[in-house]
Amino acid sequence: MPTIKEIKNQLSNKNISVQELYNVYYDKAKKSKLNSFNHLLDPEYNKENINSSQARYNEGKDLSLDGIPLGIKDLFCTKGVPTTASSKILEKFIPEYESHVTQNLLNDGSLFLGKNNCDEFAMGSSNETSFFGPVINPWKNKNNTDSQLVPGGSSGGSASAVAEGICVASIGTDTGGSIRQPASLCGVVGLKPTFGSCSRWGVVAFASSLDQAGPITNSVEDAAYLLNSISSHDPNDSTCSNHKRENFLEGVGKGFDRPITVGIPSDYLKDINSDIAEQIENTKKHLSKLNVNIVDVEFTTTDFALSTYYIIAPAEASSNLARYDGIRYGYRGCGNTLEEIYVNSRSEGFGEEVIRRILIGTYVLSAGYYDAYYRKAQKVRKLIKNDFQRIYNEVDFILTPTTPNEAFQIGEKLDPISMYMNDIFTVPTSLAGLPAISLPSGLSKNGLPLGIQLIGNYFQEKSLLQMASLLEKEFCFNE
Amino acid sequence: MSDINIKKVSYLAKLELNEEKAALYEKSLSEIIEWVDNLKKLDTEGVEPLHNITEKSQNLRNDEVLKENSTEQVLSNAPEKAQNFFRVPKVVE
Amino acid sequence: MNNDWELVIGLEVHAQLKTESKLFSSSPNQFGSDPNSNVNFIDAGMPGMLPVMNSGCIEKAIKTGFALNFQINSYSVFERKNYFYADLPQGYQISQFEYPILTEGFVEIETENEVKKIRLERAHLEQDAGKSIHDIDPKYSFIDLNRVGTPLLEIVSYPDFNSADEVISYLTSLRQILMYIDVCDGNMQEGSLRADVNLSVKKPNAELGTRCEIKNMNSFKFIRQAIEYESKRQIQVLESGGKIDQNTLLFDTSTGETRAMRSKEFAHDYRYFPDPDLLPVHIAEDQIEKVKSTIGELPQQKLLRYVNEFKLEKDIAKIIISEKAYAEFFENLISAKLIHPKLAASWLVGDIFSFIKEKDLQIVDIADKSSKIIQLLEMIEKGTISNKVAKDILIEILQKNKEPVLLVKELGLEQVSDNEELERIVEEALIGEEDNIKKFQSGSDRVLGYFVGKCLKATKGKGNPKVINDLLIKKLK
Repeated sequence: MPTIKEIKNQLSNKNISVQELYNVYYDKAKKSKLNSFNHLLDPEYNKENINSSQARYNEGKDLSLDGIPLGIKDLFCTKGVPTTASSKILEKFIPEYESHVTQNLLNDGSLFLGKNNCDEFAMGSSNETSFFGPVINPWKNKNNTDSQLVPGGSSGGSASAVAEGICVASIGTDTGGSIRQPASLCGVVGLKPTFGSCSRWGVVAFASSLDQAGPITNSVEDAAYLLNSISSHDPNDSTCSNHKRENFLEGVGKGFDRPITVGIPSDYLKDINSDIAEQIENTKKHLSKLNVNIVDVEFTTTDFALSTYYIIAPAEASSNLARYDGIRYGYRGCGNTLEEIYVNSRSEGFGEEVIRRILIGTYVLSAGYYDAYYRKAQKVRKLIKNDFQRIYNEVDFILTPTTPNEAFQIGEKLDPISMYMNDIFTVPTSLAGLPAISLPSGLSKNGLPLGIQLIGNYFQEKSLLQMASLLEKEFCFNE
Repeated sequence: MSDINIKKVSYLAKLELNEEKAALYEKSLSEIIEWVDNLKKLDTEGVEPLHNITEKSQNLRNDEVLKENSTEQVLSNAPEKAQNFFRVPKVVE
Repeated sequence: MNNDWELVIGLEVHAQLKTESKLFSSSPNQFGSDPNSNVNFIDAGMPGMLPVMNSGCIEKAIKTGFALNFQINSYSVFERKNYFYADLPQGYQISQFEYPILTEGFVEIETENEVKKIRLERAHLEQDAGKSIHDIDPKYSFIDLNRVGTPLLEIVSYPDFNSADEVISYLTSLRQILMYIDVCDGNMQEGSLRADVNLSVKKPNAELGTRCEIKNMNSFKFIRQAIEYESKRQIQVLESGGKIDQNTLLFDTSTGETRAMRSKEFAHDYRYFPDPDLLPVHIAEDQIEKVKSTIGELPQQKLLRYVNEFKLEKDIAKIIISEKAYAEFFENLISAKLIHPKLAASWLVGDIFSFIKEKDLQIVDIADKSSKIIQLLEMIEKGTISNKVAKDILIEILQKNKEPVLLVKELGLEQVSDNEELERIVEEALIGEEDNIKKFQSGSDRVLGYFVGKCLKATKGKGNPKVINDLLIKKLK
């Protein structure tokens, strides 16, 4: 797949026009059968943007993402373009405003190809909870080519579309692994930045203390391109950091001028299958070749991370989703009283998994249970953060698998808890708010992609991308 | 057996579950709550709850008015509206 | 009131803060606008919208903290109070719960025979809700979100009140203080100040009874009526052997009765938790000090100063401090130190207030005439004109905005203080009054008044009474 840099060169050299480029991707996306877009924007809709982008190329004044066709997870509010969160309750919602992140992308000249399918309100790890149907992974199990596989979730549409090559890159969101897990299962790169790097303003909220936007791309360099655009201070998001952002492209492809230590947590590797173990072993070899010092580390909180997450995230979600009541926007159920409208709009508008999470969240916040669950989880979250801080006194990065398994079949996992277990390696990082990237590291015995996760310290995205780019080169060379 | 009162929880969340669904969710919630209950094993005595990862203090906005949108825009997605109001069935207090 | 029973009342007062913009959005904080015109996407609870705290509200809270003797907390947290209502767009109200900005304050109120300290438990910042309008259409309610997000300071008292009088005295004083420090406009009709009344009754020395909460009242009159009705009702229930149900009540202003709000299948469970969209508020010591310097004089401090420094009668001083605008007007009158404060005060609460009341005006409506009033008072002070003439001129100033000095000259109303002329008048007045002169000399002071009156009449009111008085005494002795 061509990288952003390569495409920009083609556009600058007039080997292809912005219009032609857009049409190529649009036609591919239109023909795709993987259901990775909820809504496609035709060339006519983007005409003005395409023309002004071309004009900038003609003048040699192209912007950092000029003319690049992107997919946008259908969780970002896009002005005048339907934004559904893959839910019936927002099926007809057309925002009058543009999210901070997508506005940044527009300001940098990129073109939106459409809105990527995702799990309903980003709640899911397989993209099967979408009101618009499941997304299909472009990869096939070589021992069972008839079965359709999940792309992971919740940013499954984004990962599938990037892997299929129907958009250059996509912007997803990650709450407990929603960028990294699908990136791993689709064999692409997925970066979840530090909490507070990218504004949450205009992103349909799932769990406010965890949600973070990030890129899903074909290369580490592309991820750096996109992060340069989407990471910026926003006074409209009180939790968005106002530190000065670095140029994340600067380190990409360069060696480190200092010794680097990577910690591998032994407790993460306790019960992993041989496919996953092989990824870690393989990565260790490459790290050694890169003269990286590898040390064993051990967390004390890993066993508690999923429980903590499945209290905090649903609790916040139960409150964040209270605004969908059928009064001011969105689906309205029938009813002769206000109460009936609430109940019918919500019961008919939300899907099964969303209802489950709202119920969990309502329960753990309710009188008599708050201390035992919510407050307890907030305390454990503090211990998890401390646990990471302790380990970052010794290491520069932490290496773990991204997922405990390869892509599974659509409809295979019916039990919620076994579905939740998919995020076992990504959730601790989310709770700690740390930046993490999933990088394709190899294939399983079934020929399906797997990824490794590199975790950095707070706001160390530049060196994280640098490290990832070095490993990426090693993995490519190996292939 | 769990002590989840699914009727009360769904009432608070303004969700209506028929008998069958209520039973399914009650079972599902019980399993999940039992699963997350392993937190009880961890000693958190004296630990301050973490509300936000940044642990910084609030950025404040100056007390200034900005009008960036019209009434029409606020009402543009309303399922029912009349005379620049959102409309709902009569509310009896 | 039945003497066997004691009332126990606690108040929750919601004061709308006088800010430009809302608590968490930059929409105008304004009353009486077109429906849904002061609403942005945050107020409407649109997907992905986030609150950003208004620094002005923190300042107002700190000011209130000083004025009501609160402890100002350097750390406070906004939490979500979760419940559904048509005019609550987010499905939760952002409020403070575990860590309010102000704790443990007090207000002193004057009751019939003592000064009573009302203890305040806490005060916290929160968002106001929108309004549901039920009387436009028989089938529908209409939702106006203009009020959504208006900053409120909820001031919660301990159950320290034992009568409606105490409650009204407290509310009057609270309103006065909040208006003085420019935190709230005090406009009760517009709902800028609203109170929830928690009321129970008990026998002396008995445990506290079960309380009922009467919600959301915005008139002193109705609050008094509601307390009187509800306490009678509770006493009646208890005396007939009944039990009080802990209930939330509404006061029906048309019937003068309280009634229970529709009861819910399950009790409220607000599921408070810290709002993850907001970070804790830290208030630095220097910020508190900075705000402190902007507070100015509080009403009770003014009262003391007026009495001690200006020697005003306490009752007159009380009237002047009752509204900040009165006090400001008064202080403006005496600012150049040309007029004695007592003179200014008596004219202000006398003729000036009568005029305003009669014409249904506000003190601000005559603020532009204060320099002319000062000139008038100066002439009175110097004795250039008599009181009677001054009263007429004041009306001319207030009604027609005329120049007092010109008026006096124009109408030849200048007071006659010329000794020679007055001496002649006094002598003439004493002619043929031998009997009365004798009475005076034998000690009847009343006769002096009669002579002064006679002389004044002869000057057509322009004679300086004091000079006449002195001349008479001299002549008569």
